[in-house]
Amino acid sequence: MTPLAVQNHQPFSTGDIPILPVKEFEESLRGELLTQARMIGLFGLESKGQETTVIAVLARPLKSAIDLIGTKFSSAKNSYKTFADIFPQTHYFECELAENHQIIPEGHPWLRPVRKQTICGQELYSPYRMEGEEVHEVAVGPIHAGVIEPGHFRFQCHGELVYHLEIILGYQHRGIEKLLLKASPYQQNILCESIAGDTVIGHSMAYALAVEALSNTSVSLRTQVLRAISEELERIAMHISGLVGIANDIGYAIGSASYGRLRTLVINSTALLCGSRYGRGFIVPGGLQFDPTEQLINAMKENLQVVYDDVRAINEVMFGSSSVLGRLDHTGTVEKEWAQSVGMVGPAARACGLDTDTRSQFPYGAYKYTHLPLITLSSCDVFARARIRALEIEESFRFIFDQLENLPSSSIRNQLDSILSDSGVVSLTEGWRGEIAHCAFTDSNGAWKRYKIKDPSFNNWYGLGLALRSEAISDFPLCNKSFDLSYSGHDL
Amino acid sequence: MIESIQLRVLQGDPVVHDVHHAKLSPLFRGLPELHQEKCPDGCSKCADVCPTGAVQVSPLRIDIGLCVFCPECEKVCTEKAIHFTDDYHITCNKRDQLIITGKQTELRPEIASEKIKKYFGRSLKLRQISAGGCNGCELELNATSNVNFDMGRFGIEFVASPRHADGVVITGPITKTMAEATDLCYEAVPEPKIIILTGACAISGGIFKDSAEIDRNFLESHKIDLYIPGCPPHPLTFITGILDWLGRKA
Repeated sequence: MTPLAVQNHQPFSTGDIPILPVKEFEESLRGELLTQARMIGLFGLESKGQETTVIAVLARPLKSAIDLIGTKFSSAKNSYKTFADIFPQTHYFECELAENHQIIPEGHPWLRPVRKQTICGQELYSPYRMEGEEVHEVAVGPIHAGVIEPGHFRFQCHGELVYHLEIILGYQHRGIEKLLLKASPYQQNILCESIAGDTVIGHSMAYALAVEALSNTSVSLRTQVLRAISEELERIAMHISGLVGIANDIGYAIGSASYGRLRTLVINSTALLCGSRYGRGFIVPGGLQFDPTEQLINAMKENLQVVYDDVRAINEVMFGSSSVLGRLDHTGTVEKEWAQSVGMVGPAARACGLDTDTRSQFPYGAYKYTHLPLITLSSCDVFARARIRALEIEESFRFIFDQLENLPSSSIRNQLDSILSDSGVVSLTEGWRGEIAHCAFTDSNGAWKRYKIKDPSFNNWYGLGLALRSEAISDFPLCNKSFDLSYSGHDL
Repeated sequence: MIESIQLRVLQGDPVVHDVHHAKLSPLFRGLPELHQEKCPDGCSKCADVCPTGAVQVSPLRIDIGLCVFCPECEKVCTEKAIHFTDDYHITCNKRDQLIITGKQTELRPEIASEKIKKYFGRSLKLRQISAGGCNGCELELNATSNVNFDMGRFGIEFVASPRHADGVVITGPITKTMAEATDLCYEAVPEPKIIILTGACAISGGIFKDSAEIDRNFLESHKIDLYIPGCPPHPLTFITGILDWLGRKA
């Protein structure tokens, strides 16, 4: 049986998802994975009595299609044969499903908790440990030396050399998915803005697009363009922030000071749009809360022109400095094949030569009309992950200047229609870290039955673990910053 | 070398010299101004849309310790009874003072005790604990140390270890999974020590106040020295708040 194929933001009736017996589900899903589909979700949709319906969501970038397929598990049959032994990209999704619904992937190579301390009723999970003479373990966190979010890292080392890094998260778990089910629309908006406070636009856009799709609401061209501008501003600001961190970690003071100053100008430009430096309160389902005046647009342009000119000057000096390059080159390499097989997304994946960008593969909003070039690099190291930021910053600027020149004039807010009942939608956006996926399903009253969120960090944390293999432990901060992943986006 | 000097020239003078009189975005939402007299009888639109229950009517008041500074209440009010001014001085040392009523035109913390001024007045080292913070507050706290806001010039800095700190700055609603680490970190700070709560989540739980995944017992059993509201608070709110509390001139 073929899976249900939909497009990004195309609503569908939940009943149209084929629900197969477990055996056929396994075969069908295996077939999908064998033909280059990338998993973006594997989660319980609903539990009735002893039965749990599970949905798998897969992205098919070449066709711009999203495939959905489901099965039912009961307390009598609560296991399936794992996919992770052959397709490492599914391993973490399977762990998440096991943690939330006690559905066991048989033969899973590394079943471990995602956000809790135990999994499937087992005793307290203990991380993988290497043994041997002169082998030692370094444990860091949850509280780190800097002003950053909490997470726990376990390094298995021999001398300076890291053999294995295990990343244990869950310290930020606030129960967002559960809260969303009970929340008023106003609360839902704030909750989505707070999934990751550095990706406010990315997540609030995914949420708004999901609600608009399910209520058949169209938004004006001006809204779409302003949303895309705000998303690119977020990308520029956070990419610059990443470069501040990288410059800082290698002791390149003029770089971190210069990028730091420019980031302030960028987030102040976002504040010109909506009052918040991180874009809070800007995007709502149906449109925008604020319509910038001509005067504000001009002030923004002025700010951004300064940043554009200066950032290029700084990029040139930083990436032309042999001492900088000496530090970044060949540090924290993740081979392309590895990046692909673990399902990495976003700039971290593009730095490994993978073509993955929701804006061009699953275009939405203004990206349907104006395409941003998909940039990839091939060196797969910290250099590539830094350089790709610099290149994407420049592209985003070009996009913004272009759009600001021809800003369409129309209203910025449309009335929402009632939300379709017993329906679902997959809403993908390209946050600055990569693919954000919100899978929303409604019940018979049009209220949320399930709202599943996937931050790009969910895909990429494992990539960071791989980057550290055979690296010096002293390179961890630099590698970590080059990925710049979200703890709260992962933990939800 | 020459290129680095050229970059230094490009930097110009980016520092916000007068931290008390900076000009923020005209849309910045700071201290709210309330006009109870404009409220029509029986109207509760602002309270109905408030995502955290920070806005209440008859009499009209906003708890800025709970407020996430979204524009909903101001937008929904056709009578213009609520207006968020661009005044970013919204720090306070008593929880109940964060409940703003119509009369409020200024909010400043009381000056700290002589003992605190003596110990920390000229040098304050802080350990930050992110306990479920979404990285919004963390980004703004990091920004306090950048070249624009340069909090270090006032002797206020974030340090890497609680052992080196004079107090903790907590962000986030305090998740169950961070409750123990929060306790341990605070315990590790030598006496005398202070606690600063930053952002709506830390002060009241914010949008997460009804979550089953948070554990706020730590806050019940300790005295809080300073509340810095916002979602996230502006770096200048943080800097001026501490300076005002320590009775310092910027």
